[in-house]
Amino acid sequence: MKKPKVGIFDFACCEGCQLQIANIGEDVLDVLGSIDVVEWREVMSEKWGKNLDIAIVEGSITNPHAVKRIQRIRKKAKILIAYGSCATIGGVNGMKNNFNLDDIRKYVYGDSYRFFPTEMTKAVHQTVKVDYFVNGCPVYIPEFVAVLKAVLQGVPYYVPDYPVCVECKLNENVCMYDRKVTCLGPVTRAGCNAWCINNGNICYGCRGMVSNPNEKGAQDVLAKYKIPMDLILNKMNMYNKCRELG
Amino acid sequence: MEDLQYVILKRERFHDFISRLSKMQKLVAPVSKGYHHFAFEEVTSGNEIALSYIPTILPLKKFFMPQRETLLEFKTAKGTYAEPVVEYEPMTIFGAHTCDLAGIQCLNMVFSERPKDYNYLTRKNKITLIGLECNAYCDEHASCHLVNASFPSGGYDLFFTDLEDYFIVHVNTQTGDEIIDIIKSFEKADMSHIKELKRLRDNKSKIFSNEVSIERRHIPELFDMSFRARVWKALEERCLACGNCTNVCPTCYCFDIRDELELNLKRGVRYRVWDSCQLEPFARVAGGINFRKERSARQRHRYYRKFRYPVDRFSRFFCTGCGRCTRTCMAGISLKETLNELIKESEDRVWKKWL
Amino acid sequence: MEKVAIKDSSYRLKKAKILQTKKLTANEKFFEIVLMDGERLDHEPGQFIMISLLGIGEVPISICSSPAKRDSFDLCIRAVGKVTRSLHKLKAGDKIGIRGPYGKGFPVRILEGNDLLIIAGGLGIAPLRSLIQYVLDNRRDFGKVHILFGCKEPKDMLFSDELEHWTKRIDLHYACTVDRADPDWAGNVGVITTLIPGVDIEPSRTFAAVVGPPIMYNFVIKELIAKGIPERQILLSFERNMKCGNGKCGRCQIQNLYVCQDGPVFHYEQIKNLSEAF
Repeated sequence: MKKPKVGIFDFACCEGCQLQIANIGEDVLDVLGSIDVVEWREVMSEKWGKNLDIAIVEGSITNPHAVKRIQRIRKKAKILIAYGSCATIGGVNGMKNNFNLDDIRKYVYGDSYRFFPTEMTKAVHQTVKVDYFVNGCPVYIPEFVAVLKAVLQGVPYYVPDYPVCVECKLNENVCMYDRKVTCLGPVTRAGCNAWCINNGNICYGCRGMVSNPNEKGAQDVLAKYKIPMDLILNKMNMYNKCRELG
Repeated sequence: MEDLQYVILKRERFHDFISRLSKMQKLVAPVSKGYHHFAFEEVTSGNEIALSYIPTILPLKKFFMPQRETLLEFKTAKGTYAEPVVEYEPMTIFGAHTCDLAGIQCLNMVFSERPKDYNYLTRKNKITLIGLECNAYCDEHASCHLVNASFPSGGYDLFFTDLEDYFIVHVNTQTGDEIIDIIKSFEKADMSHIKELKRLRDNKSKIFSNEVSIERRHIPELFDMSFRARVWKALEERCLACGNCTNVCPTCYCFDIRDELELNLKRGVRYRVWDSCQLEPFARVAGGINFRKERSARQRHRYYRKFRYPVDRFSRFFCTGCGRCTRTCMAGISLKETLNELIKESEDRVWKKWL
Repeated sequence: MEKVAIKDSSYRLKKAKILQTKKLTANEKFFEIVLMDGERLDHEPGQFIMISLLGIGEVPISICSSPAKRDSFDLCIRAVGKVTRSLHKLKAGDKIGIRGPYGKGFPVRILEGNDLLIIAGGLGIAPLRSLIQYVLDNRRDFGKVHILFGCKEPKDMLFSDELEHWTKRIDLHYACTVDRADPDWAGNVGVITTLIPGVDIEPSRTFAAVVGPPIMYNFVIKELIAKGIPERQILLSFERNMKCGNGKCGRCQIQNLYVCQDGPVFHYEQIKNLSEAF
């Protein structure tokens, strides 16, 4: 089988998810051995410019220039993978959508703000069609490897549509709420094996929300633990603001 | 008169016993995880063990049917060459409460039913089980007496009862007897020990009573008339469908089967993982129809799988009264409360019939 | 961790090879399959198998050929999920894994000597084809045989050449209908229940075998009962999500029944009070 030609691209992001590839560990050679990376700004100077089998896209779409660029990448790529929270759900860049866009431009660029057009932050699939999603901030490497295998096999990858609690419980963690700490696990999509909680951190909701949450029930739970609604909403919006764009 | 089936272990020899036991094969026992939570984990000394503990976060099923276990190993190049395998690890479990022993008895029945599940049965035969009696209730969420699991009734190799100065140990199997022989920390039990055990059990009979106001034999009847009860509708609003209640249940055994290839796409495994009827996609077919779409239907299904369906199939309840589902539920759905509400609603209905 | 092979595992696969494939409609494909190593499937009409693509997964599929065809068997597979879409890419000569046959099929011993009313909606024709072929192979053992078939549009019609053949046989009463006609369609238009009142049967000695989408059952059963067919003489086959086929994984459970072991074919009487069935 011919190795697929892969381009790795970044938009508004910290490029940390691309760095995760270096963190794959012992499988890194297998991963890089199964694909033919032809363009990757972070590690190589070559530009490919031709058609691609797979485009891996990190980052969210935040200005008109990015919209045009992602459309060009989409046209050239048979398969497009949204890679990391910024790409899959808008991520922390979505916090921009809390403010008036002109105010933000003035704040960042001062008097010359007119030369810097901007748009509401969007996840990649809110701009072009996405074939595979690798959620997470940063991506969870075992899940990225699973998605890559699915791409190579030509089969779909389904992101689990149940909460992180499922995987957290299987890891036999003491529930954060029992430790009197607020955690977004109950409303966040699993697939990360409760990575953060296993390591003593809370869930920040970086994988997006489950598709059919019981909102009434969730509110009752917050009330039971005496957690104010706006605190939880703020926490959810840290990664999930772009969900409002539909 | 002496009873060969009973021996005693003096308290001061407990640590010695545990360290010797841990040298025989892998030993797991309840350990504290903080915040009043416990888990069965590997131990090598008695200090690590929490002798007084409430049911662990996950029950013993994690050792009998691991969260992920390989069923087949295959090579794709050869088309359909696949070898069924079982992975197992010989181990001893110390400190299993009667509720958890009952849980394993339930799983044994399920996986022995034809077609037999040799993955489970092979692994089960490699595990030695040592029980530990609850002298009193662990907490208010337990309902072990209701389902007849508050006193030991088999399902173990050895069974420890803590009588302060010493443990009295019931030797139930040849495997148990061999442990007693090899470790040599035990002494014969005499009549006074047996009497003290009987005194404890008599006292227990006063402490333990039906936690829900219904006689055990009436439970199937209660469920027969409750399929359309309002109680389930009320759970629709509360349940978050997180699947915690089934993951922590000692008798929930539903699973998913998945394939995984190596990156070269040449070799792979078929494996099974725990699944939950509480999760949205569980009863959904590929065409998109979901046969238990509502959370209320899924919760109802869980209760019927504990209190009604297994009565027909296995002549016993699949609830062991451990209380884990109640303790773990963020939404505060309580098994005892649900049963009480079902009873109340059914009484209303019976009453109305007479008016 | 130790690992050993288990030869009697219920997950062991039988090796099988695709003999031929044929596209039936845009979404459905026909497969003729032979077990390798001289094994025979030896199934009953209405049973199903688990079919495996190593590395992708396993799905339950109804067997759609008569047991009388002993050296190979047929499947009709709709591409709806990951495994079935991948199966559609296979061609003659490709190898697959098989487990089964599983479940309780149509009780042909009980059906013998009776009249049959076979009602198929859409893909429901697949499991019923195994029964129809069985009946035709043993035609003398049965009384009158009626077949009603309905699908959404003429282009969705499965096994159209065989249906054509059935219309010509004198020992079958065959009728079909479509929900929506196209310009070339000259037959009945309307849902399948519209065909039932016109069927001439003696209800006391007629068994109905019904397979179709879930929505169809309630309406069809109502018509059959109106027609006077006793509840225990109405047979239904259910489709559910399944992972193991052994009555363990819990996916296919309808209240206290497992479709994979207790079904997929049920007497209506057996399941009429199970609200999760419909």
